[in-house]
Amino acid sequence: MVDQVHKEFRRRDLLYSGALWLLSLIIPDPQLHYRREYRFRKRDLFYLLTILLLPLIWSDPHFHHIMVLGGIHGILALGLTLFLGYAGQISLGQAAFFGIGAYTTAVLTTRYGLPSFLAFWASALTAFLFAYLIGRPILKLKGYFLALATLGFGEIFLVMVRESPRLTGGVIGIFDIPFFSFAGFIFDTYLKQYYLIWGVLMGLVLFSKNLIRSKMGRAFLAVAASEDGASAVGIDVSRIKLGVFVIGAAFAGLAGSLFASVMSTANPETFSLNLSVLIVMMVILGGMGNLYGPIAGAIFLTYLIDELSRYQEYSLPIYGVILILLLIFFPDGIGTRLRIRLIYLISYWGRKRRREKVEL
Amino acid sequence: MDIIQILPQLLSTGITFGAIYALVGLGFVTIARASQIINFAQGEFVMLGGMITFFLLNKIHLPYPLAALFAILIVVIIGFLLHLLVIYPLRKASLPILLMATLGASLFLSSASALLFGTLPKALPPFSARAPFEIGNISVSPQSLWVLVAAFLTLFSLYLLSHRTLLGKAMEASSTDPLGADLTGISRNLMIFLAFGVSAGIGSVAGIFITPIFYVSYHSGILIGLKGFIAAVLGGWGKHNGAILGGFALGVLESLSVAFIPSGYKDAIAFIVLLLILYIRPKGILGSPFIDSRRW
Repeated sequence: MVDQVHKEFRRRDLLYSGALWLLSLIIPDPQLHYRREYRFRKRDLFYLLTILLLPLIWSDPHFHHIMVLGGIHGILALGLTLFLGYAGQISLGQAAFFGIGAYTTAVLTTRYGLPSFLAFWASALTAFLFAYLIGRPILKLKGYFLALATLGFGEIFLVMVRESPRLTGGVIGIFDIPFFSFAGFIFDTYLKQYYLIWGVLMGLVLFSKNLIRSKMGRAFLAVAASEDGASAVGIDVSRIKLGVFVIGAAFAGLAGSLFASVMSTANPETFSLNLSVLIVMMVILGGMGNLYGPIAGAIFLTYLIDELSRYQEYSLPIYGVILILLLIFFPDGIGTRLRIRLIYLISYWGRKRRREKVEL
Repeated sequence: MDIIQILPQLLSTGITFGAIYALVGLGFVTIARASQIINFAQGEFVMLGGMITFFLLNKIHLPYPLAALFAILIVVIIGFLLHLLVIYPLRKASLPILLMATLGASLFLSSASALLFGTLPKALPPFSARAPFEIGNISVSPQSLWVLVAAFLTLFSLYLLSHRTLLGKAMEASSTDPLGADLTGISRNLMIFLAFGVSAGIGSVAGIFITPIFYVSYHSGILIGLKGFIAAVLGGWGKHNGAILGGFALGVLESLSVAFIPSGYKDAIAFIVLLLILYIRPKGILGSPFIDSRRW
């Protein structure tokens, strides 16, 4: 009797842990930052292989295009998740830094004939500098007012772009930006661009992973939890907030540069408030305080918008409704909520079976 | 010389626009006084007020006053629905989520109105005689006076609501001291629900009064809403007279700026004012009851 119970328990345990292991590969870990040491986990290997092999298995150009856009959105979301998900500040001006990056690349490559590899770094630097100048006065604000101030910066950027046609081409924008090229190798097909963008994204993920485990990264969490508490333990709160804002902006600048050299156009419509809203949605749906979630959210929302664009004029109302529903039903991220739900269901199922055994 | 001559005219335009911003700002303040939520769909109420009146007037051929009344009713119902379907389910959510939800609602309302009423910009006929009259060498359109009257009537009735009725007191209590409001038996959700209705009503009134002055199209809501919000912050966040003062200050600043810088930059002025006021004096001109050490 005892033996049987023991044996049964082991069998069930194996089943659960197998399911949980599979789950842990796919669904981002909400408690990533509680782990002490960072090692290259199996999960990372799984993601890496998926990203590397997916375009080869599924060689549909449209899918490649979606993934290229999704990767660019992923870089944007990664930059914002440091700011919103880790440091707990909100920004609706991320699209402006994206735009600054894109226009820097566009102007430098078309007007001054700079190689796109140099323009890539110049974009990040420009976005970084703008964020530094803007961030110093803005970041003393909190909550709604920070959101409003960053939104205002985004709108000012758009007006500036529209009103200086000599430099930025005004409303029409800049065309014929050369494709990204490095050492004579031109990234001109969707497949090549896919590897370029996801390569950059992987580098940035690695950077962010190290960053959030550094002293500065710990300070982000402290600032998010309580600014007074953080300053009480000797963290320079305004410096930390400025630091994370500037890093997020530099990420957005890199994404903008890649966007300009992949799509080979830059026009002001792309960098409107809607994009900022979209980026914040990616981070919220991905879950606060983890790195893979926002990237998954970016791919999901890019795919969703592409699917919805089929419905022509109905796409925007449907999109608005879906956004609100997602916010109502998954306020702390799809991955986090799903994972908690699934764990609960599995354990409930187990308990129910055990209860039935006892009753019999 | 040239600038001196057009200044009075610019001033009068600025006061008209100021009254519009003040009306929109009052809508924000009403909700903020009841719940400290900032409703980014406020601008859409303004747009919908104008759009629905236009629709009732030109497609269903209702008389003007009736059309306006029905439009206000419909927008108030939309405001109630916005609270029931979006804000109420998210009453315990954190700030970014509420922010995104109201932005999503704004997106939905503007695109749905494009779908229902078409994408062309629309203008209502003015309320009274068409000919603008002259004061000195400034020409003032009668509609501007209507907007001024509407702004001050709205301010007055809001003042009565919040200082002379129990309902207004209860709304304010549910924002300033949620726990105290709960203990005295005030239903906070009901107060926020009513505040959304009042705010939607103010927004639609603003929409009906301004649509004869400039064309309103489906995407103009968000910009009007943001400028109204900036007006409310400029005057003093959470104060009715602050919103009025901020509205006039912003309107005059914006229209005077046309004399000095290219008119394309006009939209940026409001946001530059926002950044400056948030940096120099976040409490706004008149000070704010809500901005204290807790939030700043």
